[in-house]
Amino acid sequence: MSKIETFSYDNKIVRNFGVATAIWGLVGMLVGLIAALQLIWPEMNFTTQYITFGRLRPLHTNAAIFAFVGNGIFTGVYYSLQRLLKTRMFSDLLSKVHFWGWQLIIVAAAITLPLGITSSHEYAELEWPIDIAIALVWVVFGINMFGTILKRRENHLYVAIWFYIATWVTVTVLHIGNNLEIPVHMWKSIPVFAGVQDALVQWWYGHNAVAFFLTTPYLGLMYYFLPKAANRPVYSYKLSIVHFWALIFIYIWAGPHHLLYTSLPDWAQSLGSVFSLMLIAPSWGGMLNGLLTLRGAWDRVRRDPILKFMVVAVTAYGMSTLEGPLLSIKSINAISHFTDWTVGHVHIGTLGWNGMLTFGVLYWLWPRLYNTKLHSVSLANTHFWLGTLGVMFYAIPLYWAGWTQSMMWKKFTPDGFLAFGNFLETVTQIIPMYMIRALGGTIYLLGAIIMVYNLWKTAKAGTLVENVEASAPARETYKSHTGDHWHRWIERRPVQMLIFSTIAILIGGMVEVFPMLLIDENVPKIASVQPYTPLEIEGRDIYIREGCISCHSQMVRPFRSETERYGEYSKSGEFIYDRPFLWGSKRTGPDLHRVGEKYPHSWHYNHMYDPESMSPGSIMPAYPWLINQEINTAYTPAKVNVLKMLNTPYDDGYAERAVADLEAQAKTIADELRDQGIEQENLEQKEIVALIAYLQRLGTDIKPDPVTENR
Amino acid sequence: MYKHILESAGNINWMAIFALGTFFFIFSVSAIMAFKSDKGKLNHMSNLPLQEDDPIVNS
Repeated sequence: MSKIETFSYDNKIVRNFGVATAIWGLVGMLVGLIAALQLIWPEMNFTTQYITFGRLRPLHTNAAIFAFVGNGIFTGVYYSLQRLLKTRMFSDLLSKVHFWGWQLIIVAAAITLPLGITSSHEYAELEWPIDIAIALVWVVFGINMFGTILKRRENHLYVAIWFYIATWVTVTVLHIGNNLEIPVHMWKSIPVFAGVQDALVQWWYGHNAVAFFLTTPYLGLMYYFLPKAANRPVYSYKLSIVHFWALIFIYIWAGPHHLLYTSLPDWAQSLGSVFSLMLIAPSWGGMLNGLLTLRGAWDRVRRDPILKFMVVAVTAYGMSTLEGPLLSIKSINAISHFTDWTVGHVHIGTLGWNGMLTFGVLYWLWPRLYNTKLHSVSLANTHFWLGTLGVMFYAIPLYWAGWTQSMMWKKFTPDGFLAFGNFLETVTQIIPMYMIRALGGTIYLLGAIIMVYNLWKTAKAGTLVENVEASAPARETYKSHTGDHWHRWIERRPVQMLIFSTIAILIGGMVEVFPMLLIDENVPKIASVQPYTPLEIEGRDIYIREGCISCHSQMVRPFRSETERYGEYSKSGEFIYDRPFLWGSKRTGPDLHRVGEKYPHSWHYNHMYDPESMSPGSIMPAYPWLINQEINTAYTPAKVNVLKMLNTPYDDGYAERAVADLEAQAKTIADELRDQGIEQENLEQKEIVALIAYLQRLGTDIKPDPVTENR
Repeated sequence: MYKHILESAGNINWMAIFALGTFFFIFSVSAIMAFKSDKGKLNHMSNLPLQEDDPIVNS
């Protein structure tokens, strides 16, 4: 028998991450609520460019994912890891660096995103200096976690820890893969991949941000905190083993279901669809394992708000992991994609699964951290019902809105014309649903505010137990026995666990992504597709800065309802100079890929100045600052140089002539605007001209020559 | 278009079959081994979260 060793658990770091979870949760939800209200009353940005919907939306998603859920992950990991391994964290200093580093990154995001500093890759919007900071802090977390695992007193690694390991390794791979970019200056970079390749890499990342940031670490928390709260072991440990390996292997493949019916090659779309459907099996295995853990304890669920939160969380996990695969079936995706249905779906996941589990964990932790009773069980119960109702009032109207709008997009008259030819009709129809959604968000936020009050009062009533004394036998050196099987072997070896997990997640990534990159030369080139002019590059960067991608896609799918509305469907060869790709994932406004030359310059000028002047009833905000702000040409040559380095065929030395070319094209557009009745001093220097240049170029490279067509 | 890519990239059907085969292998092996494993050890593993004894004042 090994001698008993005494040591202590670090509770202070758990408390700190818990406080950050609660505060950033409120911030993220509040920003989301403001964004939701802006879709009803677009003037709610108060003509300030820093809080338009396009800039708030990435702030909201980043805050919800990386600030709220991210800190929630670390709260649970730092608490459970120490106890499961019977040791204190590897280094208190690394714990502190991790905590403060992560909070600084969040603050950096909260400053840069409203300033329009964004890569436009969804959920990876932060620019390169912050990307590097994320990588460094993530490595600190990794060293601290693996250091703790290596100095453990418990031989075996509980299944929750496998999920933590898989999370760490996959997020590392994804973060590097999707942020391969070349800096132009401190706050601007250009991605290495273009067009279709960029899209595939982005959604390989994007979906796996859901999988390995919002799901696997939270499954780890479920496998730890649900048994703790129910005071009984997990229903089936065998099932948890199969759940883990099947889930991490399959999840990594699912990304292309975000790109169905786009220009992505069909084989990649099919792989994404098939693996998404297969995901139902391990996901539901995990959900059932969670719910069945409560066998014999259901009477407690009626009384204990913590268990209520956890039951709803696991149920929401089951619902969203059934819905996700169904949405990956091409015929269903044809209806749901680009609509609010997707937004409803992801909020079942974040509000239902992540949010409710986080609340349950915080309610469970706080009395233990402060060695006291929860201030008010009845307030926790009130929060539970507000949270549950909030999710329902949020998601159900969006399902309705998504379905309604999609049906309106696709409806034809008996004569073969679009029944709702004006896109705006399909938007105004769903404004009431947006109102109910905002009500749902308000209810949910109200519940979270009550939780913060309850936790604050709990903390006030007790004293933080910064260090919890504990004792455990020193770790025995394990001697293998005849008949040991491989999984017991791997359960004792974290490094091998890391390697096997890495192999499991890399297989999917390599099979899907590598062929797309290796056959780069085989993406059909279209001779008429030319690189962007310097003015168009600047206009495109304004489009990125303003977050136009939040509401406008640039991907006409090969449906008659779309080619009738927008024009020729989009071809992969049209995007070979698009760094980053800007296909988008939501159409709150119409697709813009064929908007080029559709309207006169003056239409765009007036529309950006006051959208309602051109489209009465529009919910697009006004962008008057584009009329006044001057085009920044300081970095135009650097942008051209980086694009040329990435094989965009500009002539040698073109960067030196880029600004002159930009000015010449701007003057032409400004003159045309004047001809169309727009009077403004120094018009050719204004950002609106660059944006018009870009918009008028969109999708025009392959427009049929009208002369040829008439012949 | 995708046909063109498939032809240009050579025979890539093996990738889908390889992927499916690998998944089948991982799923089968993990399932078989999980269900063959020692009950005592599984019991120990599944009780790990319940072993430590933080003060529980609440409910």
